[in-house]
Amino acid sequence: MKTMIFASATALATASAAVAGGHGDLPQSGNAWFAAGQSAVESAMAKTPNTNTAKNVIILISDGNGVGTNYASRLWAGQQEGGFGDEYNQPHELFPNLALVKTYNVNAQTPDSAGTGTAMLAGIKTKAGIIGVNENVNRGDCATLEGNTVLSMNQIADIMGKATGVVSTARLTHATPAASYAKSVDRNFEYEVPDGCTQQKDIASQLIDAMQAGWIDVALGGGKRNFHAGEGGRRKDGQDLIAMAKEMGAQFTDDQATFDALALDGTPILGLFENSHMMYEADRTDEPSLAEMTAAAISALQAAGGDNGFFLSVEAGRVDHANHAGNLARVVQDQKAFADAVAMADRMTDDADTLIVVTADHEHAIAFNGYCGRGSNILGLCMGINGSGVEHTGEPLTAKDGKPYTVAGYLNGAGTVLREDVNWVGARGDLTEEEATDLDYLQQALIPTSSETHSGEDVAVYAKGPWAHLFDGTIEQNVVFHVMHHALTAE
Amino acid sequence: MLSRRSFIAASGATVFAPSIMRALDAPLKLRELYAGGQVSDLAQSLQGERITVQGFMAPPLKAQMKFFVLTKLPMAVCPFCESDAEWPDNILAIYTKRVVKVIPFNVRIESRGILELGSYTDPETGFVSLVRLADATYG
Repeated sequence: MKTMIFASATALATASAAVAGGHGDLPQSGNAWFAAGQSAVESAMAKTPNTNTAKNVIILISDGNGVGTNYASRLWAGQQEGGFGDEYNQPHELFPNLALVKTYNVNAQTPDSAGTGTAMLAGIKTKAGIIGVNENVNRGDCATLEGNTVLSMNQIADIMGKATGVVSTARLTHATPAASYAKSVDRNFEYEVPDGCTQQKDIASQLIDAMQAGWIDVALGGGKRNFHAGEGGRRKDGQDLIAMAKEMGAQFTDDQATFDALALDGTPILGLFENSHMMYEADRTDEPSLAEMTAAAISALQAAGGDNGFFLSVEAGRVDHANHAGNLARVVQDQKAFADAVAMADRMTDDADTLIVVTADHEHAIAFNGYCGRGSNILGLCMGINGSGVEHTGEPLTAKDGKPYTVAGYLNGAGTVLREDVNWVGARGDLTEEEATDLDYLQQALIPTSSETHSGEDVAVYAKGPWAHLFDGTIEQNVVFHVMHHALTAE
Repeated sequence: MLSRRSFIAASGATVFAPSIMRALDAPLKLRELYAGGQVSDLAQSLQGERITVQGFMAPPLKAQMKFFVLTKLPMAVCPFCESDAEWPDNILAIYTKRVVKVIPFNVRIESRGILELGSYTDPETGFVSLVRLADATYG
C-alpha cells in the first residue's frame, strides 16, 4: 500500500514538473490555441494597477448593448472584415479590466435608462423612469421632487474645476444623456412639465440652464424640436432655447457643415442634429458620426478644462432603438459606430491620466439559436456545423416545422410570428438568407408587443486607465459611478 | 411557353421603357425611393408609373379613410422610451382606391399604385408627404 502511494505521488510529480517546466512534453503544446492561451496568461500576469489620479474620465454607454447584443455586434464587425466574427475583438474588449453589472432599478427587475443612467452618473440606484433623483420620488409626481435630487458626475467634476460634456445619438433630452444634467420626476418631461408642476423645469430647459451656469461645456446630440417653438418645434411656452444658448456665447451646430466649422477652443458648443433622435448609422447623412462627435467633444473639453481635465459622457442611443424595433442589422451598425467612438476616445487620451469606462445601461430580450457553424452570418440563417472542416456547411438548419431559422432572435417585439388578425395564432414564414440579411429585416420573435423590450440580464463594464482595476467581479450598477469618482479624487 | 417576364423581354426593349420594366419586376423596398434623405434617382425615374412597394401599414390616423402611411419598419412604440409614437425616416403616403381595411402594423404588405412626388398636405389629417402612391391597392 505504501509503495502504491509512493508510485502515484511520483507519477503526479513528474506530470506536474512537465507542466511547470514549459509544457514541452504535452502533446498539445505545439497547437496555436495553446500558445495563444499561454500568451494571454503572460499578459494577465504583466498587468499592473494604475493608481494615478485621473485627470480625465470618459464614460461611453452603448444603450441596450448587454452581453448578448455586444456578442452580435462583435460577430458582425468581424464578419465585415472577412472573418468568421467570433475571433474579432471590439476595441473595448481589449481593455484590461472587466466586470459584470447588475442593472435592475429599485422598483424594476427590468430596468429603464433613466434609472440606470442615474445609477451610473450619480452613484445611487433609483426607480425606473426618473432622472437625477432618488427612490423617494414617485414617477410623475412633482410634489415628491424637493429634497430628493442628487448631483451628477458632470456637476461633481465641475466642482473639481473640470470641463464637462455630454454626447448622444439620441435626443439630448432622452434618459441617458439627461442623467448627466437633469433632475426630473419623469423622463418624458423633455420639453414641458404638467400644469401645476412648479418644482422643476422641463429637461431641455435644464440643459440650457446647466450650460448657462457653466457646468456643461459641450452638448452634442439629437432632439432639436424640444428646444424651440418654431416650425417643427414642440415648446408650448414659446421659448427659443437655441437662441438663449447662442446669446450666452455658445456655438450652435445642426448639420455636418456647421459641425465641421466648430471652433474646438473651449467655447461652449450646443449641437442638435435632428428634430428627434439622430439617424441610425446605417441611414446617416449630413450629420456627424458618434466618433466625430466624441473627438470634437474631447478636443473642446481639453481646451476648456486645461490642466484640470474633463469629464465626458458619450451614449450610443440608437443601439437600443434598433433593438426595440427588433431590427438587428441596424443594432450592429450603430454598435460599430459606438466601437469607433471608443477607439477614438482611447486614441486621443493617455492611459496614464484618463480613465475610460465602456458599458451599457441594460440588455434587451435578444437571444441566440444553435447549433450554428462557424461563419454563419450573425444577421442571417443558422448554418450547419461542418464536422470535417471549420466553416459552416452552407446548409441552413431547419426546425421541426421544416423551416430555417436565424442565428439571432428576440423573445418579443414587432417581429412576432403571431398574427393579431388571426386571433394571435401564427406560424413561422419561409425565410431565405437574402431576406434575413436585409437591412430592414426583423428577426423572428414570439411574444407580440408593440416594441421589443429591455431585459434584466447583466451588462459588462470594460475599463482602462487609473483605477480601472477596481472593476472586478459582479457589481451593482451604481458602483460604476464610485469607481469613476475614486479615480478622480484618489490622492 | 413564354412567361410574362420572358414575353416582355422577347418583345423588345425599345417598346418598354426601363422604368416600366422595373415596375413589373420585383417589388421595391421602401428605402429605395430615398437617397440621403432625398427622393432617389430611381424614384424620380418612376414618377407617374404604377409601382409596387413593400412595407408595413402604420396604424391609421383616422378611421374610414382612403389613406394610410407605409413604413419601412413596423411602427413599434416603446412606452418606456417615448411619450408618443415616432415616425420613422422614409415613409410613403398611400392613397387607396377603397376605404382602408386595417392590417396589423407588423405584417409586411405590398402596395401598388401610381408614384407621385412633391410636397402635399393631406386635407383631412394635415399629414405632409413628399412621396406618395395614388390610386393604390394593398395587401
